[in-house]
Amino acid sequence: MLSKKLHSCRFDANDICRISSALTKILNVTAKRQVHDSSFDTSHELLQTDSGPVVPSRPLPLIIQKMDYPSRFAPPKQAWIESLGTIEDEKLGTIDLHPEIFGTYPRIDILHRNIVWQRNYKRISHAKTKSRAEVQGGGRKPWPQKGLGRARHGSIRSPIWVGGGRALGPRGPKSYFYMLPRHMRVLGLRTALSCKFAQNDLHIVDSLEIPSDDPAFIEELLDTRFWGFSALFVDDTDIMPRNISLALSKVPQFNLMPVYGLNVYSMLKHETLVLTLAALEKIQQKILHQMHKTSLDRSFKNERVRY
Amino acid sequence: MATSGPVTEKALKLLRNLPRVTIANLKDLPGNQRKYDKRRGLKKGRSHGRGTKGQGQRMTLPRLGFEGGNTPFYLKVPQEPYYRGHHLRREYPPLSLLQLQRMIDLGRIDADEPIDLTTLCNTNLYHIELHKRHFGVNLTDEGADVFAAKVNIEVQWTDEVTIAAIERNGGTITTRYFDPLSLAAVVNPLRFFSRGIPIPKCKLPPEDALEFYMDPKNRGYLADQEHISEGRLELAQKYGYKLTDIQEDPMFDMLTKRKNPSQVFFGLNPGWIVNLKDKCVIKPVDEQYKTYYAS
Repeated sequence: MLSKKLHSCRFDANDICRISSALTKILNVTAKRQVHDSSFDTSHELLQTDSGPVVPSRPLPLIIQKMDYPSRFAPPKQAWIESLGTIEDEKLGTIDLHPEIFGTYPRIDILHRNIVWQRNYKRISHAKTKSRAEVQGGGRKPWPQKGLGRARHGSIRSPIWVGGGRALGPRGPKSYFYMLPRHMRVLGLRTALSCKFAQNDLHIVDSLEIPSDDPAFIEELLDTRFWGFSALFVDDTDIMPRNISLALSKVPQFNLMPVYGLNVYSMLKHETLVLTLAALEKIQQKILHQMHKTSLDRSFKNERVRY
Repeated sequence: MATSGPVTEKALKLLRNLPRVTIANLKDLPGNQRKYDKRRGLKKGRSHGRGTKGQGQRMTLPRLGFEGGNTPFYLKVPQEPYYRGHHLRREYPPLSLLQLQRMIDLGRIDADEPIDLTTLCNTNLYHIELHKRHFGVNLTDEGADVFAAKVNIEVQWTDEVTIAAIERNGGTITTRYFDPLSLAAVVNPLRFFSRGIPIPKCKLPPEDALEFYMDPKNRGYLADQEHISEGRLELAQKYGYKLTDIQEDPMFDMLTKRKNPSQVFFGLNPGWIVNLKDKCVIKPVDEQYKTYYAS
């Protein structure tokens, strides 16, 4: 048992080493990268422009394989780390994603249940009709019970009369609030993230810093990278960088969201989902906690509440 | 559903070449569709399964529990007035002397230290649930014959035989009341200290419990110490055992350690704050606070 376990570990490590060395090669071969981060040392480049060929200095690719609670059943998924600093898509490195969050079975029905819940729990139906008691008039018997040869009637506001009350109509403001079971909400988030990742609509970026507050920049960036018509940018806090806040405020199909607001509806509404590294870590931590916690959740009762 | 494995991988691979999953193309499982109450159509639509005429069709069935004129079953059972107000009464979950002896023997409780409700709850073998109106421990006399430990114990409720069993071995027992706020602190001190609020001043028992805690026969914490000594002698004579002289006992200090009526924890006074982060105790300096907590 133990030897088998060790063997599988060694295989994983070799595998990852092979992948990372291949990545390093690819990154070295791919097109030259403009240095946009002030922390990078550009002095070599400047010195070498005077004498001899230009060898752009570049930092080593960022390869993040840290995972606090790795899955015992599946190898991690891998994603590129990208940057919003330039229009062209330049990969900074790779990151390991948790397979139980970014590689779950695509339960479309769970997504549907989540969407229906998100639409309904805040819905109040104001539909109301007047019953025969509420329609004005109708207190008097229109004609005597007997002797006229006509049908028997007690009120002109009976539901079978034109202008009468409504029988069994909608009554008053009605709440549609209910809570979806917690595990379904968590599975919904996992499925949405997995679908986005599987369909190449999930992008991990180092931060939401962009060089300009002009909406044209971010629009061109998404066009160039084929990131789709709409995008949701998610950061770990709700204090967003200045440039992206100003740029996105003028583009309705691009939206900013903190991690605590992340939900299935918004993820599926936008074509592309952009997560920062910090947001990614927080999402993984929170979802893993919700998946594996043993304490009871007393905040919501799993009952349909009718008022 | 499998979170990982070949089936999942295959499904995700398939999804790669399918249209994007959006709000517009979701669907529930076929079995989850709602069935309509009122069926339409040639066969089922005639009376929609409700038959013709009468209460069934017009939804004028009699109220739930109505037995057509008979006395309903829920009125046949006589009332039990002695249960009236049971949801408001104080509850003392029992702990037997046998259980206590077993905890001591297994090393879950150190009998060389005074035992109180905190000690019992810390064993994790005895639980107090505040929302069920538990007010502390009721030490019962089961296993009184085999009880052999010499303890100084503080309980909330007990009886004469239990007191005799403890005092026969040279131990001491006190009954005392904790108000709900203090009880929450006593039951789980860690959670209480982490809230960072001052240790409360324990209130006096409510009117209907005052007599119990002032009675020296119950070894109440509000009783006079001299009367308690007399009571110890009286009980020894009644049950026919020889009372050891507590003054000459080598563990005299431990056996006579008591809390003040307003004190919740041994060694900590009301008004103090236990700071778990800096591992220190913060005491009030303001005169107003001091007089309030001292009163």
